[in-house]
Amino acid sequence: MEKENKILEAIKVAFNVEGHIAREKRVMITANKDIVSSILLFCKNQQGYIHLNHMSVVDRIEDGKFELNYIIWSPTEKVTIMLKTFIDRENAEMENIDSIWDQANTYEREMREMYGIQFPGLIGRQDFALEDWDEMPPMRRDFDTHAYAEKTFYQRPGREDAKDVREELTKQSGEVIPDFAKKYSRE
Amino acid sequence: MSFFDLKGMLQPLGAVKQLGKKPHTINYPFETKKTADRYRGLHYNDLQVCIGCGNCSTICQNDAIDMINIEGVEHSRGDSGLRPRVDNGRCCWCALCVEVCPTGSLNLTKDYIYVTPDANAFLWTPGVDNPEGKNDISFTSETEFSLSMYNRVPMRELEGSERVKSFAEVVLGYNEEEARAEAQRCISCGLCTNVCPDTMHIPEYINAIASGNDEDALRIIYDNNPFPEMCGKVCTRQCETVCALTHRGVENDPNDKGAVSIRWLKRYATETAPTAAKIKEILNPVIAEPNGKKVGIIGAGPSGLTAGYYLALRGFDVTIFEAKAKAGGMTVYGIPKYRFPMESVDKQVEYMESIGVKINYNTTVGKDITFEEMHTAFDAIFVGIGFQKAWTLGMENEEIQGSIPAVDFLDIINRGDKYDVGKKVAVFGGGNVAIDGARVSARLGAEVVILYRRRVEDMPADWEEIIGAQEEGVRIDPQTIPTKIIKGADGKVAGVEFLRAEMVADDKGGRPRPVAIEGSEEIFECDTVIGAIGQEADYSWLPESFKDKIEIKRGMMIVVNEFNQTGDPKVFAGGDAVNKTADAISAIADGYAAVKGISKLLLGHE
Repeated sequence: MEKENKILEAIKVAFNVEGHIAREKRVMITANKDIVSSILLFCKNQQGYIHLNHMSVVDRIEDGKFELNYIIWSPTEKVTIMLKTFIDRENAEMENIDSIWDQANTYEREMREMYGIQFPGLIGRQDFALEDWDEMPPMRRDFDTHAYAEKTFYQRPGREDAKDVREELTKQSGEVIPDFAKKYSRE
Repeated sequence: MSFFDLKGMLQPLGAVKQLGKKPHTINYPFETKKTADRYRGLHYNDLQVCIGCGNCSTICQNDAIDMINIEGVEHSRGDSGLRPRVDNGRCCWCALCVEVCPTGSLNLTKDYIYVTPDANAFLWTPGVDNPEGKNDISFTSETEFSLSMYNRVPMRELEGSERVKSFAEVVLGYNEEEARAEAQRCISCGLCTNVCPDTMHIPEYINAIASGNDEDALRIIYDNNPFPEMCGKVCTRQCETVCALTHRGVENDPNDKGAVSIRWLKRYATETAPTAAKIKEILNPVIAEPNGKKVGIIGAGPSGLTAGYYLALRGFDVTIFEAKAKAGGMTVYGIPKYRFPMESVDKQVEYMESIGVKINYNTTVGKDITFEEMHTAFDAIFVGIGFQKAWTLGMENEEIQGSIPAVDFLDIINRGDKYDVGKKVAVFGGGNVAIDGARVSARLGAEVVILYRRRVEDMPADWEEIIGAQEEGVRIDPQTIPTKIIKGADGKVAGVEFLRAEMVADDKGGRPRPVAIEGSEEIFECDTVIGAIGQEADYSWLPESFKDKIEIKRGMMIVVNEFNQTGDPKVFAGGDAVNKTADAISAIADGYAAVKGISKLLLGHE
């Protein structure tokens, strides 16, 4: 774990952040959003972590946060760093890093479209994969996919014979669900 | 350029090095490329494994899955008879339906080519329209990493060695966190409701618990079951045997099979109301104005009390006649207190009395009041007498001191009286009553052996009871047929003689039969013999003049219609003397059905 310890300590000393070694060749860092780009630059320019592997978002709706992950890799050390930060879900905004890695531009456009995270200064078409989308960003967990599908797509003829399982079972057994309990039945 | 361009002549020969290498270009004849290992193509559903729970249809965010009746599939125990049909025009192959399929019947195949000029042909039923799909399965769900939770939240219990020291309740119950977690495992399909004799609204009250509304759960439960605390502790829980999660949960636990703990969740909901007053406060029952009709009920067991409770809510004047000093029937006098404490019964009965159910204790019909008198005084009668009389063993020395039927033994102990079982006890039988007799004897300090004719896996007792007994030191000696009770010099039981048995396959396809091995006699020395081979009803209270109307089949079971009405239109019956399952929940269902019948008879509507 020498290489892993070396980079972990280097980042900790330089930025005073939390981190640990998850397993061999994997270092986890959690940092405040304001210093994310500085850590990434430090890793790329001074530590040899020149490859941006991946960027991802997790919607932590319960905490009112988005979790952003930057995964970078060093071809000489063969070690992966997972840099994690949390940003507010409300008016979500994060620093644009496409000046550090060009390909971040694509990830950021996708994050903007799918989660509504804004990256000030990001240049690129507003549309990414969706056309003329004027709904809530669809990967947000509070986006109701089912309601959207129902509103947008017509029902193919021939589906009228569909049955509700719970209702069918009550017909078979003669069970009468009281009205006040129906709000707890499966939709 | 020179005439002899050596380089130009030799360079094309470089292509020779490609000989034997796989070409990058398309092969002819065309070969279909292999899909990825977990490729998500068209659906395939194994129609025999599918139970029609509809979880796939519920999870589908595109509303692409319908549950429909298909030819050749009928509803049965634990199967709604419905099967999924997919609108492939809406499907996005996210495979959530596969991920949440509790049986693993629904999978995605490698097949992704489907061409048709008719857009409506995209509506098709997996397994019916592509039976060949089963050879082409690609994307399947795993139980280890799954959105469905196949392991139940374990119930905390007292240790076996601790339990035998007292009659303290063994099961400690779920706390709030455990109950919420367990309730959230339910997929709300409702298959359980169809095997519940009382068709309780199981998914609804479990969902209420999952969403933190315990009082709503209690209200839903009381809609057709006024004994939830009892059912929450000792129900035979047929519901759990058909839980959709058991199909694959069995891999993790062969006993509970990962079924949602419906019984324990009900128990948890009842703990919301620790007193009768609190039950009343939460339920806030609407009691109809008195309708002037009087109903007499024989026996304050689960069926009689259920009938009494719902009749009282409907404005009937209800009087229950109970021969014993306490209401509850077999649940009070038959079930040991470490399973079902006395306070639980008292609380429920107190609540019923508070809404107007009158109970005349220590009043035996046929002695303190005749059936004819009741027939005249009441507009309708409900008979819920239960099976109080134990079957005799038909064995030599059965009547001597130290030999006692389990129901009588449990009755004595539950009344709080003493019975000296001595140092060693032999119990005959393999049902719950036999186990109760054994576990109570263990608590009285005896060394206990259960002698059972068949194998342990054939025992009709609840698996939890069998394991519980074994943990408490009860030894089960299977394939043993008791032949004689041995009388000691003091005239008391000194032991039991039994034969070993071998299991012989049944020619008619039934379960294997025990056949005694000649010359295998053995003797188990003991001080007490407890027989638990079954009970029956006592009809000595029923006058001859009624016997032509109220039919009693083979001297045991009262014959009734769907409203639990006997041949005498005024007389209804329920409980062990009516249904074959002879459990509390069936008795409750009988009482509830009779309420509808009595309302129909006296008020003209159910």
